[in-house]
Amino acid sequence: MADRVLLTIGTRKGVFVAEAKKARRSFALRGPFGPGVPVYSTLVDDRGTPRVYASSCNPFFGMKLLCSTDLGKSFKETAKAPEFPKDDGRALANIWSLEMGEAKGELLCGVEPASLFRSHDRGDSWEMVQGISNHEHARKWQPGAGGLCLHTIIRDGSRWHLGISTGGHYLSEDGGQTFRASNTGVGAGFAPDPYPEFGQCVHKIARHDDAPGRLYMQNHGGWADWTGPGGPRPDIGVLRSDDYGHSWRSIAKGLPSDFGFSIVVHPHDADTVYVLPLEPATRTCPGGAPAVWRSENGGDSWSRLSHGLPKKETYFTVQRDAMTIDGLKTPALYFGTTTGQLWMGREGGESFECLFDSLPPIHNVKVAVV
Amino acid sequence: MGTAPVVTIHLPGPLRPYCAGVSRLAVAASTVRAALDRLEQDQAALYRNLCDETGALRRHLNVFVNSDNVRDLAGVETTLKEGDVVTFLPAVSGG
Repeated sequence: MADRVLLTIGTRKGVFVAEAKKARRSFALRGPFGPGVPVYSTLVDDRGTPRVYASSCNPFFGMKLLCSTDLGKSFKETAKAPEFPKDDGRALANIWSLEMGEAKGELLCGVEPASLFRSHDRGDSWEMVQGISNHEHARKWQPGAGGLCLHTIIRDGSRWHLGISTGGHYLSEDGGQTFRASNTGVGAGFAPDPYPEFGQCVHKIARHDDAPGRLYMQNHGGWADWTGPGGPRPDIGVLRSDDYGHSWRSIAKGLPSDFGFSIVVHPHDADTVYVLPLEPATRTCPGGAPAVWRSENGGDSWSRLSHGLPKKETYFTVQRDAMTIDGLKTPALYFGTTTGQLWMGREGGESFECLFDSLPPIHNVKVAVV
Repeated sequence: MGTAPVVTIHLPGPLRPYCAGVSRLAVAASTVRAALDRLEQDQAALYRNLCDETGALRRHLNVFVNSDNVRDLAGVETTLKEGDVVTFLPAVSGG
């Protein structure tokens, strides 16, 4: 019986694991594992005996994938990390996303430069997913400030959604064999054409099983004041699709900023979605007062959640994979900051408390009930 | 054609798990590139820590032949002679 909440925390200095009973009164921290090495993605694969995975992105010796079979008490490297074919000309620069594949033991891994790999043996060997990695657009994508990364992998049967920065949203409807750019309504602020076919700086995409045709996107916003070619493009930062990602529309009205990185859907209500708006110039919380914003009607309106959070003089960033929500009956929202704080918002974000306040800068937070 | 000179490769602690824990390896190679090729054949896990998929030396890794950084010599084409010591070390960087 699943009775523990497990948090995986990828930081600039390794991965930490925090564990609590379901009441989540206190979390015990262990780690860092892969000490001193940045971790941009983690995954708790809870099919069968849970396995915890963490990318270990070593700037000196290359990329590794760590795996734990004891709920994050110890980690070992898998036999291999993804790697490009020798004659491809690209070299693995980072591992940005890990997700479960369809079959037991199957993993999907999004990397930099933006490409997708698949493992059939729990990460010991990898094959490139050609349909996206060698897509005709692949050599035209440009890196954003964080690098050219494939950061979002969403599977919905034979329909796969990928988020690439900067590349945009790519959709497969044949189980990952072929992909096409699907960015109608997704704006770009850093090109004269406000709505290009591809090249958008998508930050994160989220969905809920109960509303399979609906997707939410945190895009690179903050372009309301642009006066150059193509004109201003307000509210392009937070979007929704109701047709499986074929087209998108803004739901940013009512937010203090349409810029941000993370977006999360409530585990029991497809209409409830969370973002953490940031000022586009500084990428920190508006006015130095952090808040999560929640919509309970699919983005038609938003309310500010800040009880327990600092009220002033707070200038952290929350990165694209650093906010998540658990699946318990009354779920808790979690986010990690670039200043090393891990916050938990009980009752779906109604009241926040700081679980850990001096971790290394946090890149990634995932949660599972195991 | 003569036999390639035998050189000693020194490895820092973080690389030793990839070659059965040893701190040094003897390799017959006439250039640094040839030594890396030898490692790719015989020590594949170690090699992946030294070079990326394109065969390029990892950016933050320094290679010394005796006391000289190969960057100041002929890079990976630096020639080796019998008894040379080749040392791989992570660059001083990070924060």
